[in-house]
Amino acid sequence: MSLNDDDFMRYSRHLLMDDIGEVGQEKLTQAKVLIVGLGGLGCPVALYLAAAGVGQIDLCDPDRVDKTNLQRQVLYRTEDCGELKVACAKDRLHALNSGITINVLAREVDVDILSGPSLTEAYTAIVDCTDNLAARQLINKTCYEQRIPLISAAAVGWEGQLVAFDFRRYRQLCFSCIIDYKSTEPMMNCSNFGVVGPVLGVMGSLQSITVMRMLLGFFEQHGELQRYDGKRGQWLTMQCASDTSCSICGPTDR
Amino acid sequence: MINLLFFGRLGDCALDVDKSIFYQDDLATPLDVRDWLAKAHGDLGKALSEPQVLVSVNKRVVKWDHPLADNDELAFLPPVTGG
Ligand SMILES: [Zn+2]
Repeated sequence: MSLNDDDFMRYSRHLLMDDIGEVGQEKLTQAKVLIVGLGGLGCPVALYLAAAGVGQIDLCDPDRVDKTNLQRQVLYRTEDCGELKVACAKDRLHALNSGITINVLAREVDVDILSGPSLTEAYTAIVDCTDNLAARQLINKTCYEQRIPLISAAAVGWEGQLVAFDFRRYRQLCFSCIIDYKSTEPMMNCSNFGVVGPVLGVMGSLQSITVMRMLLGFFEQHGELQRYDGKRGQWLTMQCASDTSCSICGPTDR
Repeated sequence: MINLLFFGRLGDCALDVDKSIFYQDDLATPLDVRDWLAKAHGDLGKALSEPQVLVSVNKRVVKWDHPLADNDELAFLPPVTGG
């Protein structure tokens, strides 16, 4: 698939850039990306990836729009309340860019969904925008096993976290090395503690740029953890280490 | 000295905590420091004992039993799981 006249206009600001250009835009066009969770993080991720021309975006979320979502989930409108998030999101994203394919998966994420858009094909990247540890761990495990790049973010209150893994290139250090598989949920999450909308915008934007870097071949920070504190305007970047007792990437076959 | 950093909302629980402490044998790991802090600052101790609190030493995420050295920067990070 190559770029048509409309694409040359639409993506002209990418094409002007030496390190994206036609070659880079084709990489975005050919990519198939799964976004798991269409909440506060998933909305900006989906918007930016659709606008950037990622060729296929699959949206996974079983939830319906609720009035309490509207303070931060920027794809939805008041009249969407009660509708499936993925259906509303697909409409909005298609209005933004009708040249890309968008599929909806209105159910809880599972291995089948994560395993790819078809039986013979894996996703180019998976974006973890979920709100619970069980889903995050399942996504991590599947991405690790199937060597799919994983871009994971989270937010609560004024704070955000981003960590990404290029499992195509690295076989040590995964999400479970950092957050133990068996650990329990902390007391607070977005539904019981609250969250500031733009924090999700910051982290979701960072997630979408990390997806683009992954697709374009610019990503080098496997397992680097970034934290943002919006209340104090502070960032902290840390390197993580692989855990030799990790149940996902630990030495079973080495 | 060990320099302490309480990231994000943990900072709100640590307003009256001295951010640099003398390096000493009985504060040999992040876990020791947490237990020592908890004695004088109950709320902070509780917040640091939540599941999924991360610790980093000199910008590297480490385990709670990581050996501390003089002049280390020890950071505590509260859990962030929502989306
Ligand atoms: Zn691991």
